[in-house]
Amino acid sequence: MPGEIVVIGGGPAGLAAAAAASDAGCRQVLLIERDRELGGILNQCVHDGFGNLIFGGSMTGPEYAHRFIREVRQRPAIAVLTGTMVLSLARDRRLTYVNRDGVREIQPGAVILAMGCRERSRFQAFIPGYRPAGVYTAGTAQRLINMEGVMPGENAVILGSGDVGLIMARRLTLEGANVLGVFEIAPRPGGLTRNVVQCLDDFQIPLFLEHTVTFIHGKKRLTGVSVAPLDRAGKPDLTRERFIACDTLILSVGLIPENELSRQAGLILDPVSRGPVVDQEMSCSVPGIYAGGNVVHVHDLVDYVSHTARLAGRGAQRFLEGRTPAGRVIMQAGENVSYIIPQSITLPVSETVDLYLRVREARRSVHLKITHQGNVLKQKIERIVRPPEMIHLALEPALLTGLSDGHTVSITVSGGEPA
Amino acid sequence: MKSTKTITCINCPLGCTVTVSPGLDGLSVSGNECKHGETYALQEYRAPQRVLTGTVRIEGAFLPRLPVKSEAPLAKELLPLAARELDRISIRAPVSCGTVIASNLAGSGINLIATRDLD
Amino acid sequence: MSKQLKDLVLELFTENDLEQYGLAVSEADGLLRLAGTVPTWELVVRAGQLAGSLPGVRSVVNEIGATSVEPAPYKAPPGDPSVIGTADIVIIGAGVVGTAIARELARYKLDIVLVEKDSDVGCGASRANNGMVHSGIVQEPNSLRSKLNVRGNAMFEELCRELDVPFKRCGLIGLVFKEEELILLDLVKARAEADGIPVEVISRERALAMEPALSPETKGAFLAPSTAMTSPYKLTIAYAENAVTNGVRLFLNTEVTAMEEKDGRVCKVITSRGSFNTRFLINAAGIYADRIAAMTGEPEFTLHPRKGELLIFDREKTNDHAAMATGLLAIGLDPHTKGGGTMFTMDGNPEWGPTAQETADREDTAVTAAGINRIIEKFNPLLPGYDPNQSLINFFAGIRAATYTEDFHIAPSSRLKGLINVAGIQSPGLVAAPAIAAMVLDLLRQEGLNMDEKEQYEPRRFAPARFKELPVDEQNSLIRSNPAYGHIICRCEQVTEAEITAALHRPVPALTLDAVKRRTRAGMGRCQGSFCLPRVLLIMSRELGIPLAQLTKSGLGSPLFSRQTKEAPPYAKEDWFHAR
Repeated sequence: MPGEIVVIGGGPAGLAAAAAASDAGCRQVLLIERDRELGGILNQCVHDGFGNLIFGGSMTGPEYAHRFIREVRQRPAIAVLTGTMVLSLARDRRLTYVNRDGVREIQPGAVILAMGCRERSRFQAFIPGYRPAGVYTAGTAQRLINMEGVMPGENAVILGSGDVGLIMARRLTLEGANVLGVFEIAPRPGGLTRNVVQCLDDFQIPLFLEHTVTFIHGKKRLTGVSVAPLDRAGKPDLTRERFIACDTLILSVGLIPENELSRQAGLILDPVSRGPVVDQEMSCSVPGIYAGGNVVHVHDLVDYVSHTARLAGRGAQRFLEGRTPAGRVIMQAGENVSYIIPQSITLPVSETVDLYLRVREARRSVHLKITHQGNVLKQKIERIVRPPEMIHLALEPALLTGLSDGHTVSITVSGGEPA
Repeated sequence: MKSTKTITCINCPLGCTVTVSPGLDGLSVSGNECKHGETYALQEYRAPQRVLTGTVRIEGAFLPRLPVKSEAPLAKELLPLAARELDRISIRAPVSCGTVIASNLAGSGINLIATRDLD
Repeated sequence: MSKQLKDLVLELFTENDLEQYGLAVSEADGLLRLAGTVPTWELVVRAGQLAGSLPGVRSVVNEIGATSVEPAPYKAPPGDPSVIGTADIVIIGAGVVGTAIARELARYKLDIVLVEKDSDVGCGASRANNGMVHSGIVQEPNSLRSKLNVRGNAMFEELCRELDVPFKRCGLIGLVFKEEELILLDLVKARAEADGIPVEVISRERALAMEPALSPETKGAFLAPSTAMTSPYKLTIAYAENAVTNGVRLFLNTEVTAMEEKDGRVCKVITSRGSFNTRFLINAAGIYADRIAAMTGEPEFTLHPRKGELLIFDREKTNDHAAMATGLLAIGLDPHTKGGGTMFTMDGNPEWGPTAQETADREDTAVTAAGINRIIEKFNPLLPGYDPNQSLINFFAGIRAATYTEDFHIAPSSRLKGLINVAGIQSPGLVAAPAIAAMVLDLLRQEGLNMDEKEQYEPRRFAPARFKELPVDEQNSLIRSNPAYGHIICRCEQVTEAEITAALHRPVPALTLDAVKRRTRAGMGRCQGSFCLPRVLLIMSRELGIPLAQLTKSGLGSPLFSRQTKEAPPYAKEDWFHAR
């Protein structure tokens, strides 16, 4: 169907993208979700802290999902297929999906990727040892506890202080388990300050920075882990290795955008963000394929997920209406910038461009500068920048009037002192 | 007599370490880089509060657990007690988001509400 | 003669600085017995291997202890002497060898019992090897390993067809990186020809044309076209399913604790779950085969565990990887493996390894950081363009059950009539399995077992449907017949609910998470089950009628959960999982 937009994934990104595509005028939106219900990962995030930016108040994951599911249900242009898995996606947007009614192939006018991200496993983190029961990624443990009602164990060590790991430290504690400690390979916690305080400090759970798990013990069920601090070279210092008896290891060692379909469709991927490269309307490198949320890069706040997915929804509809690009500006990650979303800006620019960036290292009192050929387009002093916390910048169209095809805009975060 | 406390501010990524100490003319606050830090630190010093989130048993739904939260923040020290109260609650489906599941959580006067529809 | 053998061992010990430990050596009929104490496990193995290397040694019983190693207390579980059945023959161990023997015996009018101490078939070395169907090159000439390897290789393709098990005759390329090693290629070829194994020495250019990702440092290569790959655990499951279909009774979670004899002949085998009266007993107990053999009262050989670690890489990231064959470094780096290599599993994942590491612990299946590094250092030079660090998705280790003569030990017990030991089955045990089974049947005939063919025997076994591998029209007809084929549970490997349900109701049902994984691939993809684990478990719970909180990863002692939320912990927190 040439006028149809298919959204792959019914989590926070897919819900927002579908609603936005409908609001932008698309009369046929198909939202495909593999699970039996909409909401995605939000359904298992029973903690609060969602929606501060969009709704101006803190809500839990299911409540946040509830709002967006209602929005989708209220829009007659959106059809929802749950229990449905997209099996393949080609460059020409032909996609096959399967559900209990069979395998179908369709070729919509535009596709929005909203598959989210997945967790890195113990193997990808190169943690040696046995392969016993009792080793879970944080997200899996979260689903098991919060939705399926089973406890992974009673004495847990958590590796990784990303937000999911911190949240799980509190959940396990509130459900009556002991959390023996959170071990973090980096010199600073990976999650938000709020979560360090409210998930660890509140419950006197120790946080060991610059430490890692060096061995998983237990032939059938986990019996313990070896942990060690890092030496100067950043390798585990095995002379100071110690054994911690525990029955559960929860891993929060990173999230990676879900790239299976992105790869199949031949999208260009950004080696740093690890998702497809996009422009300001969230268009990927293949025309008619858009992406929003954690499939593009892993966000720290769901509000940003919803926001970028809305951009993708609007962008996809604009594509159907016939978008005529007049050139492309490349965004260049300069000093202390790890990556920038979007990686390029398609001209002409008629609306404010939202930039999201992550820094490489934490610093205080930095000078954030956006420049083109030495001219400063915008600058800002930030009191603190930290890798876990995304920086959001708005670029007004007026700032970009001097740009034309092939130009490069550079972003630097310079000066200041280590935080 | 309360003593001096250091509190990590959670309002922004700065995460200021704020010190609150009792003095002759009330509490003195230092270490914060902005006004939000003072407000937060004083609240944390006097009466820290947290929203309790968790789950309760549910019968007759496609999931065995229903997500819930306290309708308002509870005194922090009530969290463990309130969490054990959740263990003893079991309700029947269907439930809709916002339904009051229990009242007067851990004697706080605060309601426990469902945070999703479940049937 | 006898005295000579003992003296030769003592001489060897002296030459190798072992005389200082005053080790005791005795000998009878080619069976050497060693005793004493040395400081390290390495020396225990060294002494055993020196003894086993002498010509004329039939087997080595090595009772030397190492002061550095806490002797692992062998805890035989309590046996249950009450008789629960009678069988013409009882097979101990449902690995690839035990199931192969069971399946071959099932052709005859025999009452066959197969007992396995684990929760599934193929839980030892049979599931933790690289799946290579070796050609037989570089085996010790005239050894049992060599003969059964070549014989097994010739049988394998037909076997996999009958049992509907994946098989690919991919061939093997062995290469050298130094000019002076080119002679090794000719040596391999000459030795292979003597054993009737096809090997061709090929030019550097031809090797690179066949495998563009191979290192340009390659100086020359040989090609062994009869090398193939299979799925070792799928073969074991298929053997077991076919055996059960043809009447073999399989008892899982059943550990042999003792045997009883009458007039010098076996009459009863006692297990943790009851006893069987039987006159024939096959010991195919893998790494525990020496302990089973010693239940006669006298040890006949000692096994020394040798660990092999393997790395598995993401299927999507196969760029710059050899397209087909196995690489092989210069022979001699790891004296007890054929050097390992880089290969593809039958599911298309690059696979590197194995290592070869002696270990005192028979269940030491831990992968070490050193092992991972060793594999990458050893094999990355073969494929210099491949980045193993970016694509590792799994690793595991298996234990080779090596004898000190380093050959298979397949013979009737010298101590007890009716017992046949099928032991020391290290590599190439997988490829040799069908030939081992045939050999064991011959031994049983010689020992007087009556074997009359059944009228009804079904040699064929059909693998369950694999949704992902079917064309769309067949996928749709499956979904029409059972809509659960339209419900994907494992996203990485596209495994459907119907496939998982089927695995739980096959002739050898999957009872644990790992058993489901081996049969369906659910959880074997790049996310390693972080998505599908709860969903697979819910299906298992529903189909098997076991509460979610009581499911296990790999049977007894491996509970996945401690309790339901909202419940008080069932045991003191410190030891809830020991209490089960």
